[in-house]
Amino acid sequence: MKEKALSAALRIWRKGNLKSAFTPIIIILISFLFSAIWLLAMGNNPLRAYQALFAGAFGSTSGFVNTIRLSVPIAFASFAVLVSIKANVFNIGAEGQLLMGAFTATLAGIYIRGLPAFLHIPLALAAAALGGMLFVLIPALLHIKRGVNLLVVLLLTNSIAAFLLQYFVLDAFASANAIIPSTERILASAQLPFFIGPPHRLSIAFFFVIIAAILLELFFRRSTAGYEIRAVGLNADAARYAGINANKLKLRGLFLSGALAGIGGGLEILGTHYHLYVDFSPGFGFDGIPIALLSGGSALVSVVGSILFSALRTGSLTMQARVGVSSEMISLIQGALILCIASNYFVRYLLNRKSKGSDKDRDKDGSKDKDKDKSEGTDKSDKKAVQP
Amino acid sequence: MNTGLLIALLLSIIRLSTPMFVAGLGNMYSERVGVLNLGAEGMMVSGAFAAVLGSYYFGNPWIGVLCGILGGLIAGALHAVICVEFGGIHAISGIGITIVFGGITRFLCISIFGSTFTPNVSALRTTDFLAGLPVVGEFLSAISPLVYIGLILLVVSYFVIFRTPYGLRVQMVGDDPKTVETAGIDVWKMRYSGVLICGVLCGLAGAFMSLGHLDRFFEGMIAGRGMLAVIAVKMGKWEPKGILLTALLFGFLDALQLQLQISGFLNIPPEMLQILPFIGGIAVLSMRSDIARLGALDTQYLRNKYKF
Repeated sequence: MKEKALSAALRIWRKGNLKSAFTPIIIILISFLFSAIWLLAMGNNPLRAYQALFAGAFGSTSGFVNTIRLSVPIAFASFAVLVSIKANVFNIGAEGQLLMGAFTATLAGIYIRGLPAFLHIPLALAAAALGGMLFVLIPALLHIKRGVNLLVVLLLTNSIAAFLLQYFVLDAFASANAIIPSTERILASAQLPFFIGPPHRLSIAFFFVIIAAILLELFFRRSTAGYEIRAVGLNADAARYAGINANKLKLRGLFLSGALAGIGGGLEILGTHYHLYVDFSPGFGFDGIPIALLSGGSALVSVVGSILFSALRTGSLTMQARVGVSSEMISLIQGALILCIASNYFVRYLLNRKSKGSDKDRDKDGSKDKDKDKSEGTDKSDKKAVQP
Repeated sequence: MNTGLLIALLLSIIRLSTPMFVAGLGNMYSERVGVLNLGAEGMMVSGAFAAVLGSYYFGNPWIGVLCGILGGLIAGALHAVICVEFGGIHAISGIGITIVFGGITRFLCISIFGSTFTPNVSALRTTDFLAGLPVVGEFLSAISPLVYIGLILLVVSYFVIFRTPYGLRVQMVGDDPKTVETAGIDVWKMRYSGVLICGVLCGLAGAFMSLGHLDRFFEGMIAGRGMLAVIAVKMGKWEPKGILLTALLFGFLDALQLQLQISGFLNIPPEMLQILPFIGGIAVLSMRSDIARLGALDTQYLRNKYKF
């Protein structure tokens, strides 16, 4: 009985269903181990640190509420990256678009007057989406029309967005009577209503995340437009043969991606801060990258990933207070995650080798597949590995 | 414009473009062997922090520079292992390198010094032994010796790439690794060497930022210069001379915005001025749309034993 279950488990493993679910877990474990080494090196007890991290994120009501609240911009950033990956463009400029979306949403929140809340909030969110889209426009056009390396331009636009935000907040739209430098407060009609009122102050922004996730899933599974984007992402040549204009779809993917990132920034202002200040984003856009890459292409899985990631962010503050470990440790975990994702091929190779060793009677199909893979030539330029 | 201001601007250009052309030189090796290095920023941060750490503990800036090179080398080695040995995705690995080393340096800086910036350490901001020269002595001694080292490396790199067997192999690996392997050359060794040299040079560039230009490390001091270095390589067509010229252009934009900020000449807000080099970078990128690409840039080349 036991053996039967084991062989069934192995069969699933070989088929790759379980394995593909297993790889992200291994990757997450490795990155926690990596930062544990640094904690040890600095003379801290990693177990106590992680315990405080977990307690801070989920141990109390306020911690849990904070985790949910912070997961909103992270989730939207991960959607942005996810959409871009599906269209086979990699939007690492999500951070910049998020900042710009927050800015345009703030402007709409301050200067559009006399509207009721049910009109003002959607308008401000539309402004946020537009801000994100406009900010991705120039890199997208440069990439498509001039063949410029998209990653390089997008990384530059992140720096530009950070400086622009400083300019807007400190100079152009600075509020005269603010304690920390910030813009004016947005009007009450643009503020998202509370789902859980004070003292916890959780706005309804999280429902936008769930709605967006479901819409995205439907968009990619059920709609023609979503299917076309996926087709271009999977095989641009085949899509071109099928009469799909790849450049147009890349542009569409980037616009959608920029809009999502912008909405994430907008929600953060409309739902949490109510005015724009310089350091409101600790790098939400970069958080979205590992989440989207590990989610296996599913928006719903990215929501879970975003909650885990925001748990890291909220928990790290508790950890800093209780154990005295700098909350900077988060970027160690985040970076290690990205590095592991980059070497995801190798992680899969290691897992594959192990399963081969433990199971000698590989069925014929498995070995055939293996031979086929081997004959694929020496230089495996599989940029498709990014593809979830 | 008087001569004093002109000389100040000139010195400023030299100081600001040096880290970009040294890091760009490193990236040239990396891209020539076919490994895209978006992690230049992280390597420079690592180098800058390690250099200050070395100078802080040993009291000698030259040991600091060596530590900086080591710091860059560690970051380069990580990138090399992921991209060359593990068949990883270069762009994602580069972003990871930038985030990890940004995190490690901030984490260590807070753990060791208790804040996001270090105390002042002994630095290499002037070249005193050149001060005795007539006429130009004052000018030449106002620049860090690391600038001269960078210029020497520039000439050396030119000869290495275009005049030595090693350089020819580097060029070939970047073009067509399969053929190179058929000819009996160890592709992976070549790729490792290119990325490691890149790490060393980026570390040196970082050390220049923290010890040659300033005398401390603070969070965010590299501020996108690694990315500009990557652009300088593409704009400079993977040649030392071109890289130097592009880096000088970026240095000029950077120096210009600093001067405008200090003088308050046109009354433009400082944040808008700081964008200038980045706008310049994008403009430069969009001008060069017909880049003759290296054949194997940003591709994986796996060892046979890792195939499954």
